[in-house]
Amino acid sequence: MKRVIVLAMVAALGMVMAQGRTVNLLWSGAVTGPTSDVGGPYGAGIEDYCKYANEQKLIPNVTLNCTVRDDQYQNPNTQRIFEEALDRAKPAMYLGYSTGAMLQLKPLINEVKMPTLPASAHIGLIDPPNNQYMFLPVSSYSEQVVALMEYINRTEKNAKIALVVNPSPFGRAVVDHARRAAQRLGQTIVDVREVGGGNLDNTALLRALDAAGATYIIHQNVAGPVANILKDAKRLGLDRKIKQMGAVYTGGSDLIRLAGDAAEGYLWASSYYTLDENTPGIALQKQLAARYNRSADILNSTNYTAGMLAAAIAVEAMKRAAQRFNGRIDNETVYQALIGMNGPNAFKPGFAVSTKAGIEIDFTRTEQTGAEGLRVLEARGGKFVPVTDPFTSALFRQVRNP
Amino acid sequence: MRNPWAQTGNYRTSYEQDTTIFANYREIVSVGLLLVALCILPMFLERSQVLVLNFILIYAIAVLGLNITTGYAGLISVGQAAFMGVGAYTVALSAPHLPFWLTIPLGGLTAAILGFIVGIPSLRVKHLYLALATLAFQEIFVWVVGRSPALAQGAAIPVEMRNFLGLEIGFRNHNYFWYYIILFVLVLMVIAWRNLLRGKYGRALIAVRDNDRAADAMGMDPGRTKLFAFALGALYGGVAGGLLAYMQRAVVVEEFTLGRSVALLAMAIVGGLGTVVGSLLGPAFIEFLRLYMERLSEWMKSNAFIQSITPAGVDVASALLPLSFGLVIVLFLIFEPRGLYNWWRLLRSYFRTWPFRY
Repeated sequence: MKRVIVLAMVAALGMVMAQGRTVNLLWSGAVTGPTSDVGGPYGAGIEDYCKYANEQKLIPNVTLNCTVRDDQYQNPNTQRIFEEALDRAKPAMYLGYSTGAMLQLKPLINEVKMPTLPASAHIGLIDPPNNQYMFLPVSSYSEQVVALMEYINRTEKNAKIALVVNPSPFGRAVVDHARRAAQRLGQTIVDVREVGGGNLDNTALLRALDAAGATYIIHQNVAGPVANILKDAKRLGLDRKIKQMGAVYTGGSDLIRLAGDAAEGYLWASSYYTLDENTPGIALQKQLAARYNRSADILNSTNYTAGMLAAAIAVEAMKRAAQRFNGRIDNETVYQALIGMNGPNAFKPGFAVSTKAGIEIDFTRTEQTGAEGLRVLEARGGKFVPVTDPFTSALFRQVRNP
Repeated sequence: MRNPWAQTGNYRTSYEQDTTIFANYREIVSVGLLLVALCILPMFLERSQVLVLNFILIYAIAVLGLNITTGYAGLISVGQAAFMGVGAYTVALSAPHLPFWLTIPLGGLTAAILGFIVGIPSLRVKHLYLALATLAFQEIFVWVVGRSPALAQGAAIPVEMRNFLGLEIGFRNHNYFWYYIILFVLVLMVIAWRNLLRGKYGRALIAVRDNDRAADAMGMDPGRTKLFAFALGALYGGVAGGLLAYMQRAVVVEEFTLGRSVALLAMAIVGGLGTVVGSLLGPAFIEFLRLYMERLSEWMKSNAFIQSITPAGVDVASALLPLSFGLVIVLFLIFEPRGLYNWWRLLRSYFRTWPFRY
């Protein structure tokens, strides 16, 4: 009898060993509530990539337990969800979301040494203090805006630019950098306006910016308010006089859907490939959306691509951590794997454009931005098409820490 | 003399008895037991559950303040979150230079001064007009913070305290440490609240709320009483904000917007305006409602059947939380305007006379 029990125990242990370990990955973001138009597809991208990673056994002998939680865009909820995860099943990596919550969590993230990839690209997240474990998947909002200003400078010198930003730390993040960049480029920031959701009539805003001589408006916002401004500009006939453009969360399929033909000509700074491009990442996105029955809205959303990219970076870092540290996957080894993701070890999943050096995603201990390349795309015929090659803003590095 | 332990009601036969903090011995014992229970509660909870308790207790302090301004003095305020914000930012700016036991009262004091100033319109306007004045302050606060580089334009200002009397405070014990501090402050604030309201200032607040002209005729100064109510309510808000700043390790303006003010007002209404017990039950009820709605909306979002029957473009899961909040407030206003406090009162009466009925 004893022999049978011992054999059974050995067999059970063997089965557990064969199945491998479980490693946790946490994302919390606005699946519902404000900005859920971004958070919904972003979370779906993470969820789908995790399923794919498990099906394909991307991390050998490891089952990935992806927890996707809805914080409803409430900072206390984000804090609670994060601490709950630390209590119950400590994740090896945390994929965050909103600017405010991530800025607030920075001290805690630093204390518990949790490598974190937020959806927000606020530069303050990777600026000191408490920035060691924060990594941005793509270039920051500030870099995107400065890149747009450089793009303007290619065709028009001494341009007059107005900034229209979200009334929040997310929106205001770019203002100082834009002012410094304008000074160096010889441009003039004629006005900075804060516009949030519910901007149903923007006549006064547009008339004021026109009167101030603005020929360009750069937006740092989400798609909804930008779409309303574009529609009003078209109604007022100012679309031919003032060129509008914006950072990553202003554009994409959401803007086309909300603004319709008023979006035509809108310029958009983005690091992500579009659905019309043939890259391994985009092909995988289409494949997974079909496999997991995602709606067309989700498939078309850049935020779905963004979620997949974040998850792909996390999975790759875990895989490399397992290889480098004898199968040990935890926050410390994943951090080491992340900061080693550079040079010949850079990661190339095909979701974002590469720099001139051919690098898509790379991180170091001090360079905490993943995809540093970006392109300017223009809305033409109901979709965004690239109008520049991938580039990195040289000026941003100068104005970031003057 | 009746046996004080067998009392089935409050027998107050003198003015002194009428102004006691506790009505009978049983109340003293039950409050003592409640405090003991609250002291040992964290031992049975996870760190993140203690975090939820901390939020509830902090909101309870803010709601106590709101209950002075709105519950007792009848001055509608939708700016309590801004007062919390004033306290939080005062703490954020002073924390690098002062210990927390000074920064938190300083936060309360700064909020009280601003509360006094915000209360000035109450000398001339009442009801909805006054509510609009407080709403203006709420919006001005967010606007000013958003444009102040000294306040990081609303982005995070870290507030860290790593050591207290030799005790290392880190991730492991942060929530527990602040739980006891918040509980201690709450008890102090409740005692102060009770002490204030049982005396002539408390009666002046009620008199001014019920009829300020009559109160004036009886020798009270309605203007000064209203300003006092505003300042005191703001002081509670400021202290709550200061505690929140330490507890969250950073101050971000998003915590102190109009939505939070409305939520605090909802907590006061649901708990029962003008009561200590309501100030504790309201925040607990709203926070647990938020937790359960979060779970429900997560389930709805991930349930294929629910998604298939929902019309395209309609996000029911997103609407669930605001819908449930609105519904709860409306239902309480219609069916139980005295709030959860009244249920507590009925329950207590039942057990006081148990096994007999009135």
